[in-house]
Amino acid sequence: MIPVTYRASFSYLLRHPWQLVLSLLGIVIGVAVIVAVDLANSSARKAFLLSMDAITGEATHQVVGGPNGVSEDVYRSLRTEAGLTRIAPVIDGAATSDGLSLQLLGIDLFAEQSVRSFTGDAQDISSLFVSFLVEPGAVTASEQTAQELGLEIGDRFELFSSGRQHTATLVATFAADDSLDRVLVADVATAQEWLDLVGWLSRIDVRIEDGDTATLERFERALGPGTQLLSASGRTRSTAEMSQAFMTNLTAMSLLALLVGLFLIFNSVNFSVLQRRGLIGVLRALGLTRRQLLTMVLVEAAAVGLVAAIAGVLFGAVLGEQLLELVSRTINDLYFRVNVTEVSVSAFSVAKGIVAGVGAALLAAAVPAIEATSYEPRLALTRSVLERRTRHVLPIVTATGIAGMVAAIALILVSGTSLVAGLSAVFLLILGFALCVPLFVRAVSTLIAPLAGKLGGTSARMAVAGIASGLSRTGIAIVALAVALSATIGISVMVDSFRGSVNAWLQQTLQADIYTGTIREGSMEPELIAAIRAIDGVVDMSTRKRATVEDASGRTQLRVFELPPQSYDGAELIDAEPAPAWQAWESEDAVFVSEPYAYQHAVGAGDVITLPTDRGPRQFDVAATFQSYDINAKGIMMSRATYARHFDDDTIDSLGIYLAAGVDVDAVIREVERLSKDTQSLYINSNAGLRKESMRIFDRTFVITDVLYWLTLGVAFIGILSAMLALQLERARETATLRALGMTPGQVGGMITAQTGVIGLLSGIAAIPLGIVMAYVLIKVINRRAFGWQIDMTVAPDILAVSVIFAIGAAMLAGLYPAWRAGRSQPAIAMREE
Amino acid sequence: MSAPPLEIQLRGLTRRFREGTREHLVLDGIDLDIARGETVALRGRSGSGKSTLLNLVGGIDAPDAGTVNVAGVEVTALTERERTLFRRERIGFVYQAFNLVPTLSVADNVRLVLELNKVSARSASARIQELLDAVGLADRAASYPDVLSGGEQQRVAIARALCHKPAVLLADEPTGNLDDSTADSVLALLDRLVRDSGHTMLVATHSQHVAAQCDRVLELHNGKLQPAA
Repeated sequence: MIPVTYRASFSYLLRHPWQLVLSLLGIVIGVAVIVAVDLANSSARKAFLLSMDAITGEATHQVVGGPNGVSEDVYRSLRTEAGLTRIAPVIDGAATSDGLSLQLLGIDLFAEQSVRSFTGDAQDISSLFVSFLVEPGAVTASEQTAQELGLEIGDRFELFSSGRQHTATLVATFAADDSLDRVLVADVATAQEWLDLVGWLSRIDVRIEDGDTATLERFERALGPGTQLLSASGRTRSTAEMSQAFMTNLTAMSLLALLVGLFLIFNSVNFSVLQRRGLIGVLRALGLTRRQLLTMVLVEAAAVGLVAAIAGVLFGAVLGEQLLELVSRTINDLYFRVNVTEVSVSAFSVAKGIVAGVGAALLAAAVPAIEATSYEPRLALTRSVLERRTRHVLPIVTATGIAGMVAAIALILVSGTSLVAGLSAVFLLILGFALCVPLFVRAVSTLIAPLAGKLGGTSARMAVAGIASGLSRTGIAIVALAVALSATIGISVMVDSFRGSVNAWLQQTLQADIYTGTIREGSMEPELIAAIRAIDGVVDMSTRKRATVEDASGRTQLRVFELPPQSYDGAELIDAEPAPAWQAWESEDAVFVSEPYAYQHAVGAGDVITLPTDRGPRQFDVAATFQSYDINAKGIMMSRATYARHFDDDTIDSLGIYLAAGVDVDAVIREVERLSKDTQSLYINSNAGLRKESMRIFDRTFVITDVLYWLTLGVAFIGILSAMLALQLERARETATLRALGMTPGQVGGMITAQTGVIGLLSGIAAIPLGIVMAYVLIKVINRRAFGWQIDMTVAPDILAVSVIFAIGAAMLAGLYPAWRAGRSQPAIAMREE
Repeated sequence: MSAPPLEIQLRGLTRRFREGTREHLVLDGIDLDIARGETVALRGRSGSGKSTLLNLVGGIDAPDAGTVNVAGVEVTALTERERTLFRRERIGFVYQAFNLVPTLSVADNVRLVLELNKVSARSASARIQELLDAVGLADRAASYPDVLSGGEQQRVAIARALCHKPAVLLADEPTGNLDDSTADSVLALLDRLVRDSGHTMLVATHSQHVAAQCDRVLELHNGKLQPAA
């Protein structure tokens, strides 16, 4: 049975349902955002790993080669000469059908059996084998994939890969879970033809039993230069890790929502304790010990936290479905193919949400709970004593805040390149700053109260002075709104600066008049390239090949260029004189490394790096570091001549077309379209068009950021609403007196609205310095550590102005209902209730 | 010599309060006439309806039946907004719990009412000075309520209640929160200021001493008003 003391305490909450609902809502949203981000991240990651697992099957190792993959000859010699039989060739590439992105896998059905089985139990291997042999373009897919494509067995359909159209036939389906969704399986030869990889394999999957060092050694001996045997799980892990920084940043943003939620809970619990000071006094007078009181307040907070956390988890699962789409889209845009449509709710994510909710409620309740135990056992503690107490602790709170900010700076300085330490410093900075806000509020509102009095009379002065004199109530609400706003300022400034930097970078990098190339993967037809070169008005061309090389340390992307000298300006070299650097790049074994690569590998001009090549590992001089905002941090720029010396690959995947002055860009685009129409489907874009398209993808990447910060602002809005309602409840008698003295409901409401407006203004002003500092840390520390980018910080005044206006608007909006309530209050009833 | 005009006239004043399903009749058809300049004490046990009667006269509550006429204005016929404006101009309140605005200084607590009545800043300052002198708190004009003693707070409340020269002063247990000696001085002050300015005063009190200062003493019992024994 619930003890009477607890019932007395709980009944307070039940009598103030709006206050209870608002504090629940704060935790619900905070927990929901955390759970949603966690579920979206983990579902995307899990889907990727499951899909990799399904595709890797029982393969323990993989033989990988250079940019083109592994020569078929290597496979043949491993099987026939070295006698290694538990191996299977794999072709892996991208295709589209009916607008759907698909993964195309080419396999050798019989070799497969020693490694895995894509065909499930439903299909007879030999009949499938026959179908693969006799049916041109035969593919098989999971039942779900077939359903998604609207196909039945025997149906023919169009498939695009390497810019060409192919006709495929669905010869069989197999039962599989989601892990093989949107995967088409074809025979090796078919996939080679479709992906323009005749004579090459993407990799060779290998199965070696644990501890079988003899087989490992046979592989080492059998593999020539340019091919390597790597652990399959290591390759999967390193791919998954590519998106780690992105996911960590999202998690940090979700924690920010909880942090704002924390202030909200603190606010609610604080109010509920302060408002029950009479009851607490009575209970203490009746013999409730300090310990019992502390336990009572904490139990109550834990109960509220638990209820809200459960609701938060449920809401989080729904929100997670929405976020998953955004997260997987960004991962697909930037990192690797992942196909996931459903959130998988893990017990761990749920537990995290519950712990976060209850923990936040307990943490927020701790301070007011401890404060409550200090109340003297008398009927009521007067307001003035409370406020005096608040004034006394203010310098200590501020000093603690300053210490927190100093600690944050120290943490940034000593933590090297650690992203988690950087994010911890951001949180420390926010907390530190938050603790300084109440002093700022008191100072400013005390200062401007007389001015308000001169401008708007005594009631205006009361509105402003009330903020300082009720600091124990208004302070937390202002802090919550200021923190949420500073987060929006910080993120907006970061995104805006980033956008500006990327835009400037694109303007500099994109020097050609027209860009064209294969869509997604594959290389351009040499005849088509020659035909484009011959178009009237084309004076020069740059060629590009994106190649990936891989060794045990992971993958490195090579960007191989043949550049006309006039396009050298397109790359901004950071740490070397351009002329000698370009000369070395063109004629020697020298490369340029991207800034993120330089940051992550701690290399720069004058250093030497080792890269795997078709002739085995080779050393390359770093001639310079170039600025780059490409998400792939391991980018290296290599000249075509250097590439040709080390790799057996003369393919080109895109072109930059330079036109003579006065030539009509659209006319040339039309000509390229005409030339490519019957040979290869290409993307063709003008300089401006490509820039626009790049910025569109950039903006799409930050949609999820927008969603998270609106949720954070929502939490802060609830905070202000809750604070203002509680303040009005607290001041019911004061309001009743004013009404008795002749203030109209409109005047009382106006005063409260003015007060909330000033609260918004103060929050907005307080948010500006923290927002700018946050932006600085996000740009110079977090982005640098997460992605290696160097972004020029620009603070657009409109971002700051909009934030302040938003703060005032949000606060006034939150004040409307309390103002209306206060105006409607019946003075006689309010007086009697006291 | 003709009798002074009526300042307060109550007819059939009835007020009920509902407690769950039960209805509690607090005022049961009260009739009362109070002449201009008269001071009347209202006595009765706790919960007898003294404060309710004051609230009805002051227009901060509305009766279930009956009429209230104050200074020639039928208060019960007014809208909520009109009642507010009426109260602002014609009524002064003094409460047991003082009810000063904690965020305003002593002077500003008084100024608030003058400002609501649109008294010019210059006239308001002069009036505040005059009243604070009268209540002996001229030197505490800049102080805030929380540093004043109970007696001082009540004196500010009296100054605030009289600053706009109301027709009627309503005082609800004005000395209820004060010790005897302070209560005496506050009462003397109130009596002097009310009589000097010719205000009509209706005071609800338990105190025989307070009641003795008034021209007339009435007893509220079972919702009915009768002269005190």
